[in-house]
Amino acid sequence: MTPALFARGVSIRFGGLAAVSNFELALPVGGLYGLIGPNGAGKTTLFNLLTGVYRPDQGEIRLGERDLIGSAPSAIAASGLARTFQNIRLFHQLSALDNVRVAQFAHRRTGLVATLLRTPAWRREEEADRAAAEAWLTAVGLEGRGAELARNLPYGDQRRLEIARALALRPKVLLLDEPAAGMNPQEKLGLRSLIRTLRDTYDLSILLIEHDMGLVMDVCEHITVLDHGEVIARGTAAEVQVDPAVVEAYLGSPEAA
Amino acid sequence: MTRVLQTLMDGVAVGSTYALIALGYTMVYGILRFINFAHSDIFMLGAWFSFSLAGVFGWTLAGATPPPWAAVVVLLGAMSGTAVLGYAIERVAYRPLRSAPRINVLIAAIGVSLLIENIGQLPIAFGTQPQRMPSLLPDAVLFEVSGVSIRLVDTLVIGIALGLMAALEWLIYGTRLGLAMRAVSTDAQTAALMGVPVDRVVSATFAVGSALAAAAGFLYASKYPGINQPAHATWILLGLKAFVAAVVGGIGNVRGAMAGGLLIGMVEIFGAAYLSPHLRDVYVFALLILVLLVRPAGLLGRATVEKV
Amino acid sequence: MRAILPWVAVLGFAMLAQVAVGPVVGHYWTKILMDVGIAVLLAVSLNIVNGFTGQFSIGHAGFMAVGGYTAGILTYYGGAALFDLPPGAVAPGIAGHLWFALSTLVGGVVAAVAGVVVGLPSLRLRGDYLAIVTLGFGEIMRVLLTRTEDVIGSAEELATAPWTTQVVSTGGSLGFTGLPFYTNLFWTWLWTGIAILVAYRLKESSTGRAMLSVREDEVASGAMGVRTTDVKVIAFAMAALFAGIAGGLFAHEIGTTLNPAELGFQKSFEIVIMVVLGGMGSVTGAALAATILTIVPELLREFSEYRMIVYAALLVVVMLVRPTGLLGHREIWHAWRRS
Repeated sequence: MTPALFARGVSIRFGGLAAVSNFELALPVGGLYGLIGPNGAGKTTLFNLLTGVYRPDQGEIRLGERDLIGSAPSAIAASGLARTFQNIRLFHQLSALDNVRVAQFAHRRTGLVATLLRTPAWRREEEADRAAAEAWLTAVGLEGRGAELARNLPYGDQRRLEIARALALRPKVLLLDEPAAGMNPQEKLGLRSLIRTLRDTYDLSILLIEHDMGLVMDVCEHITVLDHGEVIARGTAAEVQVDPAVVEAYLGSPEAA
Repeated sequence: MTRVLQTLMDGVAVGSTYALIALGYTMVYGILRFINFAHSDIFMLGAWFSFSLAGVFGWTLAGATPPPWAAVVVLLGAMSGTAVLGYAIERVAYRPLRSAPRINVLIAAIGVSLLIENIGQLPIAFGTQPQRMPSLLPDAVLFEVSGVSIRLVDTLVIGIALGLMAALEWLIYGTRLGLAMRAVSTDAQTAALMGVPVDRVVSATFAVGSALAAAAGFLYASKYPGINQPAHATWILLGLKAFVAAVVGGIGNVRGAMAGGLLIGMVEIFGAAYLSPHLRDVYVFALLILVLLVRPAGLLGRATVEKV
Repeated sequence: MRAILPWVAVLGFAMLAQVAVGPVVGHYWTKILMDVGIAVLLAVSLNIVNGFTGQFSIGHAGFMAVGGYTAGILTYYGGAALFDLPPGAVAPGIAGHLWFALSTLVGGVVAAVAGVVVGLPSLRLRGDYLAIVTLGFGEIMRVLLTRTEDVIGSAEELATAPWTTQVVSTGGSLGFTGLPFYTNLFWTWLWTGIAILVAYRLKESSTGRAMLSVREDEVASGAMGVRTTDVKVIAFAMAALFAGIAGGLFAHEIGTTLNPAELGFQKSFEIVIMVVLGGMGSVTGAALAATILTIVPELLREFSEYRMIVYAALLVVVMLVRPTGLLGHREIWHAWRRS
């Protein structure tokens, strides 16, 4: 079966630095995979490569059957690859509901003229989208908070709103960039079950970057470890944990210690 | 052949003043990532300060021939005046907006620009009449090449401009302040963590950039003595063309600004001489559009990757 | 029905302004109310670019010039040919006014096309190149317009002049004089009402939200599937369309001359100031600021020397104290409700 997201030989250099080299991944449909590695290992760079923010120097990236190399970020997003940002990038002056509704724009059928004339078709679509956006807010646990401005939400809720916004794109694959960063243990617990629920409810395939090892080991069925832009290990949580290369990457080499 | 030589001389003279102005734009952009709209007004003030200062010393059109050191006094005076002003503008209008969206800083800069122009036109300042700059730089025909007279004033304008650019080059690549400027330009946050006093570096950048613009104002007024009133469109237009020079050379790139300035001067003066003298501004902006389409990072600039 | 009602209201309002307000307030205030309408039209349209998408255009007067000269050529030379009148004569009856309406609209469309051509190279890029490009465009327009030939004044001369001569005979730096005075309160407030309605409906729609998202965070906007360049170009073209129409109204207004000096960047800056003071992204805020900034200088003529100084100082102070403008991106009624 074709993987939901497939990458092979993906490399990029910034100046003299090989930020990501020869990355490989085959995320199966319905998979929940993790991507870990020390700071500066190239995890976020990889997300930027997958979502078209950067164009790889070499390599192949496919979303289902679709070749993603050279496509604009907006086209990639609209074709079913959604993401969240490590350093929360919400539309701060817009309400939570409008943040979600922005992501619906790519799928709108009524055009500019219908918008200005407010045709019945436009009105129906607008109302359907509004209901859907509220449902997405509910799905991440933000029911009834739609009117609040994004910047006024607490940190943990902003992370949830980022997920709701990404979901509104109706993606096949969801990339989560450190969704637990800055959350308290209570919120992290909620996030764990949310990620699982989302995958099961919406037939999503999820790739997760996370620093919280407990969370990754717990929810991810497969983990790829990145260090200095290269894959140093892959496998289940149990396999990765005991891999000497991983231990070294995280704790430093025995000589240095 | 004669005409080519004459045009070349004019092109280099005008281009080197553009380069001096472009340096201020590019240095500020390199460090703070915004277009300092008021920079063209600093250039304008450079010309007017020079004129006023010369008047204070009695070096007027009607007066006696000014001594040879008059130019040095006026040039340094105008440069110090605008340096202080540039420092003050950054302090009052831009620094509080350091973390604000760039569009806000841009609007504030336009406000500052309009403020300078309109205060400049008040009767207590420079008034609404154009003036004529007395010739402080000595002029004579140096030598003639196939019928074209190479004039001393043109040579001096070019010489002073190149001298100042060489000084800036030394400042940026040869001093601790220059090192700090380059560090802040590369990554202000990291530079701050490494103990670089970012605020002082920014202040210094504004002061240096403004002084160079004032020098450009002085040199421009020496070559074209008719000084327009402060709010006249020519000032903004000259400043804009200098900004185009900075973009064409690669915004944020000091050597690019110098090269871009010369290129823009050439394009403008050659276009005016050989195509139509009325459309000189059109050539410059056409070049800008072309560069944005073909090589948005500028001729010497490198494409930068935005952090996501 | 709900969708059509506002259009009817705009039409009714414009008619009311023409038949009920005009005769009551007299010539002087009729002229001021037309000036106000044109200023509101300019501010509300510029707000679509500067306020909604957060891009910075300062060449609005350039698009005004494109529209004004296009419409002027159509009513002056086109009108003469169409109605068999001496150049510059007002065609009698409804036909003349319909020709005028069509001319302004064509002027707007030409301005919108110019907007796309000018905007596309810089809107592809992030950052503030648009400011420079639009400012440069405005200045190029101004320079080119000063180079045009004298207006053809007599019917005899006009009869022998080919159309290629006519379109470049727009008066040079003296301005396009002798244009028929078609502009009245009805046309001014009809177009202005339409612009306000369009801007407001845009803001409260998915397209408008996409524009706002570009302003808030362009990278995130693209990552959410918004084709950011397209959205910016649409906003820019709409703004240019209405600026062109405003130019057409301005060209045919009594007591104004369509000349290049009038439409320089000073004019563009004035419109920017209206948008910024009113609130970036607020339709009613821009309209309110445009109204106040048109009427107040009229009442304080003796201080005109200080007007720009006060504007400029206001601009800096507002940025320092209230960076999103007086109303921010809220509308007047939101501010009402809060207080």
